This record gives sequence, structure tokens and C-alpha cells, in this order.
Amino acid sequence: MTAALLDRAARTAIAELEAEDDVEFGVRLLRNTPTHERRDPALLRRWAATADAFGAGLPPVAATARIVESDGGLAKGLLARYTSRPVPTVELFTDTLALADALIDLLGWRHWYPAGSVRAAAVAHEAVHGQLHHGPRKKELKRALGHVVLRAGRHTLYGHVAGADEIAAHAHARTVCGLGRSPLLLTAALATAAEPQHGSSHGPPHGREK
Amino acid sequence: MGVVILLVMAAGVAAMLTRKLPTGFALVLLAVAIAFVAGAPLTGENSVLDTVLQEGAPALAATMVAILLGSWLGRLLDETGIAGTLVRKIVEFGGDRPVVVALGVLAVSTLVGTVTGSAPAAMLAGIIGIPAMIAVGIPKVTAAGTILMGIAAGMPFELPIWQFFSTALELPIPTVRGFMLKLFPFALSAAVLFVLVETRRRGVEHAWSLKSASAKPVSRREQLGDAPWYALLTPVVPLVLALGFEVAILPSMLAGVVYALLTTTRPREMNKRLLRTLYGAFEVAAAPMVLFIAIGILLAAVRLPGAVESLEPLVKAVSPQNPVLFVLVFTLLVPLCLYRGPLNVFGLGAGIAGVLIAAGIYPAVAVLGLATSYNQVFGVSDPTSTQTVWSAQYAGVTPQQVMLRTLPYVWAVALGGFCVTAATYL
Repeated sequence: MTAALLDRAARTAIAELEAEDDVEFGVRLLRNTPTHERRDPALLRRWAATADAFGAGLPPVAATARIVESDGGLAKGLLARYTSRPVPTVELFTDTLALADALIDLLGWRHWYPAGSVRAAAVAHEAVHGQLHHGPRKKELKRALGHVVLRAGRHTLYGHVAGADEIAAHAHARTVCGLGRSPLLLTAALATAAEPQHGSSHGPPHGREK
Repeated sequence: MGVVILLVMAAGVAAMLTRKLPTGFALVLLAVAIAFVAGAPLTGENSVLDTVLQEGAPALAATMVAILLGSWLGRLLDETGIAGTLVRKIVEFGGDRPVVVALGVLAVSTLVGTVTGSAPAAMLAGIIGIPAMIAVGIPKVTAAGTILMGIAAGMPFELPIWQFFSTALELPIPTVRGFMLKLFPFALSAAVLFVLVETRRRGVEHAWSLKSASAKPVSRREQLGDAPWYALLTPVVPLVLALGFEVAILPSMLAGVVYALLTTTRPREMNKRLLRTLYGAFEVAAAPMVLFIAIGILLAAVRLPGAVESLEPLVKAVSPQNPVLFVLVFTLLVPLCLYRGPLNVFGLGAGIAGVLIAAGIYPAVAVLGLATSYNQVFGVSDPTSTQTVWSAQYAGVTPQQVMLRTLPYVWAVALGGFCVTAATYL
């Protein structure tokens, strides 16, 4: 991982990313999540800010999941992955983590992402998903977002905002790991740097007729 | 002579399996070769040119029109935002319970599967449904499998499929409908079971993806608003007419097109939208239509008197007549409908079905039972079928992964279909 990592266009793109505020990355995440494509940008921004604040306010949780490390994250376009079965496991992709560290040094972002913090953020991020999946936290997040889908008299049904838990998990990781900027900024920079390395899985079908 | 025909068929299967030839072309060459081997003259009665090619090519014309109408309706569901709205509502209402979202997307896929098939059906339900399921934590293979199992659950009510089996096996529509009604509970149970078992077995999955924070241009599809609630009933309209009121298939499907249009489109935009979606439907329907032309030609070839005489003793010798053996043998042969194998209903399987009926080995309705049961497997698990390839690739997994995950469920559906067939029609 050297300076050859980034060409001029990539550096310009990352400089533009750097100028964005952290909530904007949450808005992007929501916009990239199906069901929000047509929503008002102002609403997305409000949801992103709310989810960010919610995640940042969550108490730290000890990572009880098994942690495994593997290669091939860049090919999959992933930095980490949480799976709940057969046993809760956090899988850290070492090649993506290495690229992240190289990129942080290259861009001079070490004051935002101290040494070892990306790995810690990945663990914290995936660990908090457990909280947001079970128990009262998921209900609290829904209420905080205030997306009402049905109202009948005194009863109000809050709708699920797909992607909000992801923003909350990133905000939580930022807070508990003491990062200067959102992990989503680093994610966007990584996507720019790793663009040729992870292929699109959304290509057209190559099967035969029928 | 029968052995030579079987060898020709084996060569055809090999050409399809190795992808040396597209299925449509392979079937036509196979039909011409079978006709010549069966001693058919070049022209005249029961000939290669006049019977096999001239009469065979348009034999499944009604199916082709039904496919076109299904594709047209599919295009309308897409362009008017009906399919997208259905999925969005499901995520909003059930999003914090992945199993509820998966069951909801399964229901939408089932509805879509009653309207149209193949990759367009998978795309209608999957373009929003697959990423929506992944976003709430459903693992990718399960997400792709849910779309396919849903479409397959709708397949017994897919009107173009009724038309296909009715024309190809020369059975009246009510007979086809009667068997499909018996097959549906198996298909639906397997689909629901797939979602319940797989979401429990695999749990949830969340990934820190590099793509999540990237800027993405907003496409026209993504700017579509919600369709009104009454428009969401569109997929049910053809079904209610054909099933409840026994209206013929093509008018039922046309009614669906008209309903979708009236409930979503301003009068001054109707003509434009109708034409645009109709022309788009031709593009979608082109591949299956080519296949149905080829199947019609193959059916004409295997029904030639010379072919029937040659194949009858051979096929009779290996076809089980005992109901228990019938179920056992055909259940064991299920993998032969995968990878464009010889029992693929939209390939050589159609020819074999034709032989079984023409030689009087089984009653036509029993062959219907066999063919539709194999179709349930092919429609979900075949890693070479476009809906499976598309769903797997879109979810970011391989078609083989999807095949392995779904095969036990659809194999059970086929077993159910064979049991019903043996109990009812043998």
C-alpha cells in the first residue's frame, strides 16, 4: 500500500468527501438503502442526524461475539461482517483493514483514526448490531426516528427506517473508539481507493433464456 | 431406430449442458435430426419442412401471446411503481423483524410469479426486495432464495404456464388448473418453510460495506412515488378472473394490464405508457418466445408417427407403471431437470413429455403432473435459469449456493407433485 494507491482523480474525490459533514454520509447511506430512494433529502438528513445521535448515546457494550479474521474483504467490498448463527461472530477482513490503515497514513488522517482504532471500531460497530436487533433498543430507535406509518386514535405505529441502525452502529463505533470523524468518511474514502478491486455484484444476468 | 433417436437426444443435451449451443437452437436442430432419423420425408404429410418446422413453430402461439401479456403487465408493475411500493410497505411495517420482511417479500414474489416468470419476475420483486432483505439482516443466499421460492409458489397460478401446458400437452385449461390447484399447497408450504427455517438457521447478518457511503446517481426508477393502494391489487386481477370467474387466460391478463393503467396513469399519458411498456415487453419476452418456438418444433418432431413407433418400446420398458415406483423413480430423477438436463420442461423435457403422451405410456394429465413438478424445481434451483442467475448475482452470491440452499425444499415439492399424480391419475 503506497502512494500509488490513489490517482489524482481519487485524491480530488476524497478531498471532496473530507469537506462533507458526517451526517451527510448517513444521508448517503440511507439514500443507497432501498425504500428511501424517493424520499425528501431533508427528511433523510433528519433521520441520519437522529440515528447518529442515538448510536452515539448508546452505552458501550462488551463484544461477546467470537472474532475471526480473514482475507478477501476487498473482493467482497467489506470491512467487517456480523453473523448471528451458528454462534455470534464478527469477521474482520484483514486486507481491507490494512488498506484502511495505509489510506489513513497516506491522507494524513491519523489524528482522526488513531492506530488500531479501525479494527476496534469494526468490532464495536458489529457488536452494537446485536443490541439494535434484540431488546428495547430497536424500539427506542424507531420512536426516536418518528416515522409514523399508521395512526388510529391514540395508537401510533412507527415504521422501520432501513439503514438507520447502520448509521447508529457507525456513530456508536465513532464515540466508543474516540474517532475524530465518522467511520463512514473512511468507508467512502476506502470505496474510492478500492474501486477497481471489488467488482460489482449487481451486473446483468448471464444465464440463458427462461 | 429408437436408440439412434435417444443418442441424438443425448447429443442435444450435451450441446446444451456444455453451452455449445443456446437451448433454443439446440432444440430446433434436435427436432430436425429426430425427424430425419424417424424417416420423415422432406415435404408433405408428417414431413420435416411442412410438419415439424411449418406447423411446429407456431404451435405454442397462444403461450407466446400469454408470455408477452405477462411481460407487459410486469413492465407496468415496474414502471408504475406497484411492485416497488409493495416491497417498501413491507419493509416499513415489518423491518425490525427480518422474518416478517422475508415473508412479506415472499408474498410479493408469489404475486409477481402469478403474473410473469423468469428473470423479469425475479427483477420485479428482487430489485428492491433483495437489498431490502439484506438491509434488515437476512443473509444474501436466503434473500435470493426467498425471491425464487416466492416466484415458484406463484408459478402454479402463472397463467402463461397454464397456457403452455394446455397447448403442449393438449389438455383443456380446466384440467391444467385442477392440477395446479393441487400443486400450489406444496409450493406455498415449501416457500414459507424455506423462509422460516433458513432465517432461523442462518440468523441475521450485517456487513460494514464499502459501498454503503458511496454517492450513487438517482435513477428514474428510484424517483418513482408510491402507487395508490388500490393499484397494488393489480397482480390479483388476472388471477381472480381466470380462477374465480373462469375467464380465458388472455382476456384475464389484458384486464390486469388495463387495471394497472387505469389506477396509476393520467388519461393523457395512457397511450404513451401503454406503447412504451408494450415495446419493452417484447424485449423481455423475446428469449422465452424463441424457446417456445423451438419447443413447438421439437414437440412436432417427437409426435411424428415414425418417432413414436421407434421410441414407444424403449420408453415403455423404462417407465414405471406401479404408482410407488413411479413416485420413487421420478423423485430420484429430479436432478436431471437441473443444468438444462434432459428433464428440463423448457428443453428436452418437453420432448420427452410429448413422447410419453404420444406413445400412450402415461395419460396426458399424469405427464402434466410430472412436468409441472419438475418445473417447480427448475424454476428455483437450476443454476443456468435466468431468474436464479439474476437473483444470485444481484444478491452477491453464486447460483450454485442458491441451488444447494433451495434444492431440498423444491425436491420435496416435486415429491408432493408426484404423489398427487400417482394417487390421482395412474
